[in-house]
Amino acid sequence: MKGIKKILLGLLVILVIIQFVQPARNKSGQAMPNDISKMVNMPDDVQGILKKACYDCHSNNTQYPWYANVQPLNWFLDNHVQSGKAELNFNEFGAYTPRRQQSKLRAIENSLKDDTMPLSSYTLIHRNAILSDAEKMQIISWVQISKDSLNNRNL
Amino acid sequence: MKTLIYSSAFSLLFLAACSNGSDKTQTTAMPDSTTTKAVVTEPAEKGTSTAALLSSYIKLKNALTADNDKDAAAAGNEMVAGFASFDKKSLTPEQDKAYTDIYDDGKEHAEHIGANVGNIAHQREHFDILSKDMYDLIKLLGANQTLYVDHCPMYNKNKGAIWLSEVKDIKNPYLGKAMPTCGTVQEELK
Repeated sequence: MKGIKKILLGLLVILVIIQFVQPARNKSGQAMPNDISKMVNMPDDVQGILKKACYDCHSNNTQYPWYANVQPLNWFLDNHVQSGKAELNFNEFGAYTPRRQQSKLRAIENSLKDDTMPLSSYTLIHRNAILSDAEKMQIISWVQISKDSLNNRNL
Repeated sequence: MKTLIYSSAFSLLFLAACSNGSDKTQTTAMPDSTTTKAVVTEPAEKGTSTAALLSSYIKLKNALTADNDKDAAAAGNEMVAGFASFDKKSLTPEQDKAYTDIYDDGKEHAEHIGANVGNIAHQREHFDILSKDMYDLIKLLGANQTLYVDHCPMYNKNKGAIWLSEVKDIKNPYLGKAMPTCGTVQEELK
Protein backbone atom coordinates (compact mmCIF):
# COMPACT_ATOMS: atom_id res chain seq x y z
CA MET A 1 0.00 0.00 0.00
CA LYS A 2 2.78 2.39 0.94
CA GLY A 3 4.52 1.58 -2.33
CA ILE A 4 1.50 2.47 -4.42
CA LYS A 5 1.07 5.74 -2.52
CA LYS A 6 4.67 6.62 -3.23
CA ILE A 7 4.27 5.90 -6.91
CA LEU A 8 1.07 7.97 -7.14
CA LEU A 9 2.73 10.82 -5.30
CA GLY A 10 5.69 10.60 -7.66
CA LEU A 11 3.38 10.77 -10.70
CA LEU A 12 1.59 13.76 -9.23
CA VAL A 13 4.89 15.56 -8.71
CA ILE A 14 5.89 14.84 -12.31
CA LEU A 15 2.50 16.05 -13.54
CA VAL A 16 2.92 19.29 -11.63
CA ILE A 17 6.47 19.78 -12.86
CA ILE A 18 5.60 19.27 -16.54
CA GLN A 19 2.98 22.01 -16.28
CA PHE A 20 5.91 24.41 -16.22
CA VAL A 21 7.36 23.00 -19.44
CA GLN A 22 5.18 24.61 -22.08
CA PRO A 23 6.19 24.63 -25.74
CA ALA A 24 6.16 28.01 -27.47
CA ARG A 25 2.71 28.99 -28.73
CA ASN A 26 1.95 29.09 -32.43
CA LYS A 27 1.09 32.76 -32.46
CA SER A 28 2.41 35.41 -34.76
CA GLY A 29 1.41 39.05 -34.91
CA GLN A 30 3.77 39.72 -37.78
CA ALA A 31 2.81 40.79 -41.26
CA MET A 32 2.55 37.86 -43.65
CA PRO A 33 3.94 38.78 -47.06
CA ASN A 34 3.71 35.16 -48.26
CA ASP A 35 0.09 34.68 -47.26
CA ILE A 36 -2.07 32.83 -49.77
CA SER A 37 -4.43 35.83 -50.00
CA LYS A 38 -1.54 37.75 -51.60
CA MET A 39 -1.28 35.10 -54.30
CA VAL A 40 -4.89 34.34 -55.21
CA ASN A 41 -8.26 35.98 -54.77
CA MET A 42 -9.68 35.06 -51.37
CA PRO A 43 -13.41 35.67 -50.88
CA ASP A 44 -14.50 36.32 -47.28
CA ASP A 45 -16.65 33.20 -47.00
CA VAL A 46 -13.75 31.01 -48.17
CA GLN A 47 -11.45 32.74 -45.71
CA GLY A 48 -14.02 32.10 -42.97
CA ILE A 49 -14.20 28.37 -43.68
CA LEU A 50 -10.43 28.03 -43.84
CA LYS A 51 -10.08 29.93 -40.56
CA LYS A 52 -12.52 27.83 -38.61
CA ALA A 53 -11.55 24.43 -40.05
CA CYS A 54 -7.91 24.63 -41.19
CA TYR A 55 -5.93 27.48 -39.71
CA ASP A 56 -5.44 25.97 -36.26
CA CYS A 57 -2.86 23.62 -37.75
CA HIS A 58 -2.10 25.15 -41.16
CA SER A 59 -1.24 28.74 -40.31
CA ASN A 60 1.01 30.77 -38.06
CA ASN A 61 -1.84 31.43 -35.63
CA THR A 62 -3.61 28.76 -33.61
CA GLN A 63 -6.79 29.43 -31.62
CA TYR A 64 -5.90 27.44 -28.52
CA PRO A 65 -8.61 25.62 -26.55
CA TRP A 66 -8.59 25.80 -22.74
CA TYR A 67 -7.00 22.37 -22.33
CA ALA A 68 -3.97 23.57 -24.24
CA ASN A 69 -2.82 24.88 -20.86
CA VAL A 70 -2.71 21.37 -19.46
CA GLN A 71 0.28 19.16 -20.01
CA PRO A 72 0.84 16.64 -21.55
CA LEU A 73 -2.08 17.60 -23.82
CA ASN A 74 -0.20 20.64 -25.01
CA TRP A 75 2.65 18.49 -26.32
CA PHE A 76 0.20 16.43 -28.28
CA LEU A 77 -1.36 19.60 -29.73
CA ASP A 78 1.97 21.19 -30.47
CA ASN A 79 3.08 18.08 -32.31
CA HIS A 80 -0.02 18.24 -34.51
CA VAL A 81 0.38 21.93 -35.22
CA GLN A 82 4.02 21.53 -36.18
CA SER A 83 3.43 18.65 -38.57
CA GLY A 84 0.36 20.39 -40.01
CA LYS A 85 2.35 23.53 -40.70
CA ALA A 86 5.19 21.57 -42.27
CA GLU A 87 2.71 19.97 -44.63
CA LEU A 88 0.86 23.14 -45.59
CA ASN A 89 1.00 26.64 -44.17
CA PHE A 90 -1.48 29.05 -45.72
CA ASN A 91 0.51 31.97 -44.35
CA GLU A 92 3.67 30.79 -46.16
CA PHE A 93 2.02 29.64 -49.36
CA GLY A 94 3.71 32.33 -51.47
CA ALA A 95 7.13 30.98 -50.53
CA TYR A 96 6.42 27.62 -52.17
CA THR A 97 7.62 27.03 -55.71
CA PRO A 98 4.87 27.29 -58.40
CA ARG A 99 4.78 23.54 -58.87
CA ARG A 100 4.38 22.90 -55.16
CA GLN A 101 1.60 25.49 -54.93
CA GLN A 102 -0.31 23.54 -57.57
CA SER A 103 0.27 20.30 -55.68
CA LYS A 104 -0.94 21.85 -52.43
CA LEU A 105 -4.15 23.15 -53.98
CA ARG A 106 -4.76 19.77 -55.51
CA ALA A 107 -4.11 18.10 -52.15
CA ILE A 108 -6.66 20.41 -50.47
CA GLU A 109 -9.25 19.31 -52.99
CA ASN A 110 -8.38 15.62 -52.63
CA SER A 111 -8.37 15.64 -48.84
CA LEU A 112 -11.81 17.25 -48.78
CA LYS A 113 -13.15 14.77 -51.30
CA ASP A 114 -11.62 11.83 -49.44
CA ASP A 115 -12.69 13.22 -46.04
CA THR A 116 -9.17 12.91 -44.67
CA MET A 117 -9.22 16.56 -43.62
CA PRO A 118 -10.06 18.12 -41.20
CA LEU A 119 -8.77 15.26 -39.03
CA SER A 120 -11.47 13.36 -37.16
CA SER A 121 -9.49 13.77 -33.92
CA TYR A 122 -9.77 17.52 -34.46
CA THR A 123 -13.45 17.67 -35.37
CA LEU A 124 -14.21 15.49 -32.33
CA ILE A 125 -13.77 18.61 -30.22
CA HIS A 126 -14.04 21.37 -32.82
CA ARG A 127 -17.55 20.56 -33.95
CA ASN A 128 -17.80 23.70 -36.08
CA ALA A 129 -14.89 22.47 -38.18
CA ILE A 130 -17.06 19.73 -39.60
CA LEU A 131 -17.73 21.04 -43.10
CA SER A 132 -21.08 20.74 -44.83
CA ASP A 133 -21.18 19.54 -48.42
CA ALA A 134 -21.94 23.10 -49.53
CA GLU A 135 -18.87 24.40 -47.69
CA LYS A 136 -16.72 21.69 -49.22
CA MET A 137 -17.97 22.58 -52.69
CA GLN A 138 -17.20 26.22 -52.00
CA ILE A 139 -13.58 25.40 -51.12
CA ILE A 140 -13.19 23.00 -54.04
CA SER A 141 -14.41 25.53 -56.59
CA TRP A 142 -12.18 28.18 -55.03
CA VAL A 143 -9.25 25.74 -55.32
CA GLN A 144 -9.97 25.21 -59.01
CA ILE A 145 -10.16 28.93 -59.73
CA SER A 146 -6.94 29.50 -57.78
CA LYS A 147 -5.12 26.73 -59.65
CA ASP A 148 -6.01 28.32 -62.97
CA SER A 149 -5.12 31.84 -61.91
CA LEU A 150 -1.73 30.70 -60.57
CA ASN A 151 -1.13 28.77 -63.77
CA ASN A 152 -1.83 31.83 -65.88
CA ARG A 153 0.43 33.92 -63.70
CA ASN A 154 3.32 31.51 -64.24
CA LEU A 155 2.97 31.24 -67.99
CA MET B 1 45.34 24.18 -128.23
CA LYS B 2 42.75 26.69 -127.19
CA THR B 3 40.50 23.99 -125.77
CA LEU B 4 43.45 22.55 -123.83
CA ILE B 5 44.15 25.95 -122.24
CA TYR B 6 40.51 26.47 -121.50
CA SER B 7 40.03 23.05 -119.99
CA SER B 8 43.17 23.29 -117.87
CA ALA B 9 42.13 26.74 -116.72
CA PHE B 10 38.69 25.43 -115.82
CA SER B 11 40.04 22.46 -113.99
CA LEU B 12 42.43 24.73 -112.12
CA LEU B 13 39.56 26.97 -111.19
CA PHE B 14 37.53 23.99 -110.22
CA LEU B 15 40.28 22.57 -108.06
CA ALA B 16 40.82 25.93 -106.45
CA ALA B 17 37.14 26.21 -105.76
CA CYS B 18 37.12 22.74 -104.35
CA SER B 19 40.03 23.24 -102.04
CA ASN B 20 38.68 26.63 -101.10
CA GLY B 21 35.33 25.08 -100.34
CA SER B 22 36.78 22.33 -98.26
CA ASP B 23 38.95 24.86 -96.47
CA LYS B 24 35.92 26.89 -95.64
CA THR B 25 33.96 23.96 -94.40
CA GLN B 26 36.91 22.91 -92.32
CA THR B 27 37.35 26.27 -90.67
CA THR B 28 33.66 26.64 -90.00
CA ALA B 29 33.41 23.05 -88.94
CA MET B 30 36.04 23.52 -86.27
CA PRO B 31 34.10 25.66 -83.80
CA ASP B 32 30.91 23.88 -84.81
CA SER B 33 32.20 20.50 -83.81
CA THR B 34 33.37 21.78 -80.44
CA THR B 35 30.01 23.35 -79.66
CA THR B 36 28.09 20.25 -80.67
CA LYS B 37 30.47 18.23 -78.58
CA ALA B 38 29.73 20.42 -75.59
CA VAL B 39 26.02 20.06 -76.15
CA VAL B 40 26.34 16.31 -76.42
CA THR B 41 28.45 15.86 -73.29
CA GLU B 42 26.36 18.17 -71.11
CA PRO B 43 23.22 16.05 -70.82
CA ALA B 44 25.37 12.96 -70.52
CA GLU B 45 27.09 14.35 -67.42
CA LYS B 46 23.81 15.49 -65.94
CA GLY B 47 22.17 12.27 -66.98
CA THR B 48 24.33 10.52 -64.44
CA SER B 49 22.97 12.69 -61.61
CA THR B 50 19.41 11.96 -62.67
CA ALA B 51 20.30 8.26 -63.01
CA ALA B 52 19.97 7.47 -59.30
CA LEU B 53 16.62 9.23 -59.07
CA LEU B 54 15.41 7.55 -62.23
CA SER B 55 16.37 4.07 -61.09
CA SER B 56 14.46 4.57 -57.81
CA TYR B 57 11.52 5.91 -59.77
CA ILE B 58 11.50 2.81 -61.99
CA LYS B 59 11.58 0.63 -58.86
CA LEU B 60 8.62 2.56 -57.51
CA LYS B 61 6.74 2.20 -60.77
CA ASN B 62 7.35 -1.55 -60.87
CA ALA B 63 6.25 -1.94 -57.24
CA LEU B 64 2.96 -0.16 -58.01
CA THR B 65 2.51 -2.33 -61.09
CA ALA B 66 2.73 -5.35 -58.79
CA ASP B 67 0.34 -3.74 -56.24
CA ASN B 68 3.15 -3.85 -53.68
CA ASP B 69 2.76 -0.94 -51.27
CA LYS B 70 5.78 -1.87 -49.12
CA ASP B 71 8.25 -1.93 -52.01
CA ALA B 72 6.66 1.26 -53.31
CA ALA B 73 7.26 2.96 -49.96
CA ALA B 74 10.88 1.75 -49.89
CA ALA B 75 11.46 3.10 -53.39
CA GLY B 76 9.76 6.36 -52.40
CA ASN B 77 12.19 6.76 -49.53
CA GLU B 78 15.03 5.98 -51.92
CA MET B 79 13.86 8.84 -54.09
CA VAL B 80 13.82 11.19 -51.10
CA ALA B 81 17.47 10.30 -50.56
CA GLY B 82 18.11 10.72 -54.28
CA PHE B 83 16.68 14.22 -54.25
CA ALA B 84 18.70 15.07 -51.14
CA SER B 85 22.01 13.94 -52.65
CA PHE B 86 21.35 15.38 -56.10
CA ASP B 87 24.38 17.35 -57.33
CA LYS B 88 23.24 20.77 -58.52
CA LYS B 89 26.75 22.12 -59.19
CA SER B 90 26.74 21.38 -62.90
CA LEU B 91 23.41 23.15 -63.49
CA THR B 92 23.11 26.52 -65.21
CA PRO B 93 21.17 29.18 -63.25
CA GLU B 94 18.06 28.59 -65.38
CA GLN B 95 18.31 24.86 -64.96
CA ASP B 96 18.83 25.36 -61.24
CA LYS B 97 15.62 27.35 -60.96
CA ALA B 98 13.63 24.78 -62.91
CA TYR B 99 15.22 21.96 -60.91
CA THR B 100 14.43 23.61 -57.58
CA ASP B 101 10.80 23.88 -58.60
CA ILE B 102 10.71 20.18 -59.47
CA TYR B 103 12.69 19.19 -56.39
CA ASP B 104 10.51 21.14 -53.95
CA ASP B 105 7.44 19.35 -55.23
CA GLY B 106 8.82 15.93 -56.14
CA LYS B 107 10.59 15.38 -52.84
CA GLU B 108 7.33 15.83 -50.98
CA HIS B 109 5.45 13.35 -53.18
CA ALA B 110 8.24 10.83 -52.65
CA GLU B 111 8.03 11.38 -48.88
CA HIS B 112 4.31 10.74 -48.87
CA ILE B 113 4.70 7.58 -50.92
CA GLY B 114 7.31 6.45 -48.40
CA ALA B 115 5.00 7.20 -45.46
CA ASN B 116 1.89 5.49 -46.83
CA VAL B 117 2.42 1.76 -46.50
CA GLY B 118 -1.03 0.19 -46.52
CA ASN B 119 -2.62 2.94 -48.61
CA ILE B 120 -1.63 2.19 -52.18
CA ALA B 121 -4.44 4.37 -53.56
CA HIS B 122 -2.87 7.37 -51.87
CA GLN B 123 0.60 6.32 -53.03
CA ARG B 124 -0.74 6.31 -56.60
CA GLU B 125 -2.22 9.79 -56.19
CA HIS B 126 1.24 11.07 -55.39
CA PHE B 127 2.83 8.92 -58.07
CA ASP B 128 0.63 10.68 -60.62
CA ILE B 129 2.18 14.10 -59.91
CA LEU B 130 5.61 12.68 -59.22
CA SER B 131 5.57 11.18 -62.72
CA LYS B 132 4.94 14.61 -64.21
CA ASP B 133 7.80 15.99 -62.13
CA MET B 134 10.11 13.23 -63.33
CA TYR B 135 9.04 13.77 -66.93
CA ASP B 136 9.96 17.45 -66.67
CA LEU B 137 13.22 16.57 -64.92
CA ILE B 138 14.27 14.21 -67.71
CA LYS B 139 13.20 16.78 -70.30
CA LEU B 140 15.35 19.33 -68.48
CA LEU B 141 18.47 17.28 -67.81
CA GLY B 142 18.22 14.19 -69.93
CA ALA B 143 18.62 10.53 -69.06
CA ASN B 144 21.24 8.09 -70.25
CA GLN B 145 18.68 5.62 -71.45
CA THR B 146 15.61 5.35 -73.63
CA LEU B 147 12.38 5.97 -71.76
CA TYR B 148 8.78 5.56 -72.77
CA VAL B 149 6.14 8.04 -71.68
CA ASP B 150 3.02 5.96 -71.22
CA HIS B 151 -0.49 7.24 -70.76
CA CYS B 152 -3.31 5.66 -68.81
CA PRO B 153 -6.62 7.17 -69.92
CA MET B 154 -8.74 5.70 -67.12
CA TYR B 155 -6.95 6.73 -63.94
CA ASN B 156 -8.40 9.47 -61.70
CA LYS B 157 -11.96 9.17 -62.98
CA ASN B 158 -10.89 9.21 -66.62
CA LYS B 159 -8.75 12.32 -66.20
CA GLY B 160 -5.81 10.15 -67.16
CA ALA B 161 -2.21 10.11 -66.01
CA ILE B 162 1.25 9.47 -67.40
CA TRP B 163 4.17 7.41 -66.19
CA LEU B 164 7.71 6.78 -67.37
CA SER B 165 8.81 3.29 -68.27
CA GLU B 166 12.09 1.64 -69.18
CA VAL B 167 10.32 -0.96 -71.32
CA LYS B 168 8.12 -0.54 -74.35
CA ASP B 169 5.46 -2.96 -73.17
CA ILE B 170 2.63 -1.40 -71.20
CA LYS B 171 2.66 -2.31 -67.51
CA ASN B 172 0.20 -0.04 -65.82
CA PRO B 173 1.21 1.18 -62.33
CA TYR B 174 -2.07 2.99 -61.67
CA LEU B 175 -4.45 0.09 -62.12
CA GLY B 176 -1.92 -2.61 -61.19
CA LYS B 177 -2.92 -6.24 -61.56
CA ALA B 178 -6.55 -5.30 -62.23
CA MET B 179 -5.73 -3.88 -65.67
CA PRO B 180 -2.03 -4.38 -66.29
CA THR B 181 -1.97 -3.64 -70.02
CA CYS B 182 -4.22 -0.58 -70.10
CA GLY B 183 -2.56 2.40 -71.70
CA THR B 184 -0.53 3.55 -74.69
CA VAL B 185 2.97 4.79 -75.40
CA GLN B 186 2.69 8.52 -75.89
CA GLU B 187 6.27 9.56 -76.44
CA GLU B 188 9.74 8.14 -76.55
CA LEU B 189 12.54 9.97 -74.71
CA LYS B 190 16.09 9.22 -75.75
